[in-house]
Amino acid sequence: MAQLMQVIISGILVGGIYALISMGLNLILGVVRIINSAHGEFLMISMYISFLFFATWGLDPYLSALIVVLLLFIFGCLVQRIMIQPILETSAAVKIFATLGLSIMMQNFALMIWNADYRTVHTAYQTSVIRLGEVAISVPRLIAFAVAILIAVCLFLFLKKTFIGKAIRAVAMERRAASLMGIHVRRIYLVAFGIGSALVGLAGSLLMPIYYVFPTVGTLFVLTTFVVVVLGGMGSMFGAFLGGILIGLVEALAGVFISPGLKEAVYFVIFILVLLFRPSGLFSLGKGSEEVGLK
Amino acid sequence: MQIGALFPLSGAAALLGDESFRGVELAVKLRNKNGGVAGGKQVELVKTDAPDANAAQAEANRLITQKGLTLILGSYSSAISFAATEVTERNGVLFWEMGAISDPITERGYKYVFRTNPAASDFAKVQIQYIKEVVAPKLGKSPTDVRIGIVHEDSLYGTTVADFIRKMTNEEKMQLVTAQPYNMKSVDLSSVVLNVKQAKPDVLIAVSYLNDAILFWRQAKELGLDVPVFIGTGGGHTMSDLQKALGKDANGIIDVDFPQYEINKTYTPGLDQFVKLYKETYNEEPRSGHSLANFMGTNVLLDLIDKVGGIDPDKIKKVALDYKLEPGKSATGWGVDFDPVKGQNKLGKPYVHQWIDGKLVTVWPKGAAVQEAQLPMPKWSER
Repeated sequence: MAQLMQVIISGILVGGIYALISMGLNLILGVVRIINSAHGEFLMISMYISFLFFATWGLDPYLSALIVVLLLFIFGCLVQRIMIQPILETSAAVKIFATLGLSIMMQNFALMIWNADYRTVHTAYQTSVIRLGEVAISVPRLIAFAVAILIAVCLFLFLKKTFIGKAIRAVAMERRAASLMGIHVRRIYLVAFGIGSALVGLAGSLLMPIYYVFPTVGTLFVLTTFVVVVLGGMGSMFGAFLGGILIGLVEALAGVFISPGLKEAVYFVIFILVLLFRPSGLFSLGKGSEEVGLK
Repeated sequence: MQIGALFPLSGAAALLGDESFRGVELAVKLRNKNGGVAGGKQVELVKTDAPDANAAQAEANRLITQKGLTLILGSYSSAISFAATEVTERNGVLFWEMGAISDPITERGYKYVFRTNPAASDFAKVQIQYIKEVVAPKLGKSPTDVRIGIVHEDSLYGTTVADFIRKMTNEEKMQLVTAQPYNMKSVDLSSVVLNVKQAKPDVLIAVSYLNDAILFWRQAKELGLDVPVFIGTGGGHTMSDLQKALGKDANGIIDVDFPQYEINKTYTPGLDQFVKLYKETYNEEPRSGHSLANFMGTNVLLDLIDKVGGIDPDKIKKVALDYKLEPGKSATGWGVDFDPVKGQNKLGKPYVHQWIDGKLVTVWPKGAAVQEAQLPMPKWSER
């Protein structure tokens, strides 16, 4: 019983990390409708920035998070303005290859500057745990999970209540109608891409005490993240949050009850089933994910 | 006298490929300074980069057909070794392997392949032997009562070693209570840790690269997995980055691998001289044991060339099979005794090391050991 509890808790906590990374991607995917292959590299860059603050000024990743978030927001806006905007009206292949090119470029850039070594930060709470009887809860993972919930709630309120939020949702649902209603679509894209990148920046900062950074660290997360977004449904923040938790849980349970070597296979089976029976995802708004960036 | 040197010097294996080549370079440099081989001839290395199997074949071809070489050494990587040896064998050229560990390299009945370093099965052999001779008595159990578990990454490296462990525990009637494969790119290994926790092994063998080694050990601490003895198999468990990432928590981890530098110096004559020369030449400490293993292997080859007076593959082969060196007489402490059919050095053995106070210290075999291993490991709650 304690074992099962432990598996479920571990799964939920990992799910929180997936959710954090996925929410940013979901904004970009759901609103700008572009498949950002470089999303994993955005995460990698934010982890490196977080590491640099730690290595240079001994700044705790949780403290430098604010700066990382701000830097990533700016970085996201720049990428959208300089790279994405000119190709918005082109075919899907162009968009996919453009972001793929960005991804490879960023990986090699990191390799050139920091070489392939693994970098870690050392904090007092790094491996500290809260014990509830037999069950152990990792503190940094719990913090990441709590932040994921907080972000999901904030995003929900932001999209529901503010004018910009409503505009973002409008663009996500129906680009042309939104523009007829006087919404400045390009500006909304800029904001959405910026916020999406900022969320990845936050994810990177929270990951740093748990994980380590190296030039291809993004590739470990990016595929799972895409699965989470499609599973949860485009443009739905709660969808991304719940999708992340779900994938984390499935991974953990499959790892214990089937085999750790097969856990990825299990959630991809679920992914394929979702695509077959509910192609727009579990909580989708507007158009389905099956046509993102392809129409 | 020209010898080809084939190593991955770019691409993913570049770091350790380059480290391996440095060992060769230093051995040749030292020999040339001390009067060369075969009555004063200088040895010249023809260095070439083989980042992958295709390049290895192309480069081996180039060295043989364009440069007219009859002897090539290398290669650090098993994939590269397989590819290059196909070409050398076809052309009757001798291939001298000093770093690749895949067993089948010397099991294909090739006439002109020699290997000075141990193979993957030797790693498993040493682990099982160490459990029988040292760990079991320390735990106060008979070897057949020791509960052994294994966690391994599921690519070729991990599965190969795991299969050998399975086979050997079977032969020895030892208990293998759990085997947990996982993908090296996992971002969470809690399920692996929990499965091991349920199996309650006395000894846990791990075959990991670096990131999974770090992640597994961190999560073992978080989830309170206490194993009395934890034995890594080279890879991530040898790297100083592991120690940097885990800090004090790395202490107590046992690791079976090529000879390292915290070793009994009377058992490894020439090691001190090697380290000194290394620092003079490259202005840093050796980055791993690969350079040392290649230094030792190259020295054996240079001895043979000196005896033959040239680099005729058939003559070198003949002299190599008669060449005998007992353990404790080379820079790695390895002896030399080539299997006449396979060309595998039967006395090249991995050693057992332990992370003690942030250093990887040799603890077994007795001749090479600096001190005894500190077993069992303290529980996490006692650290």
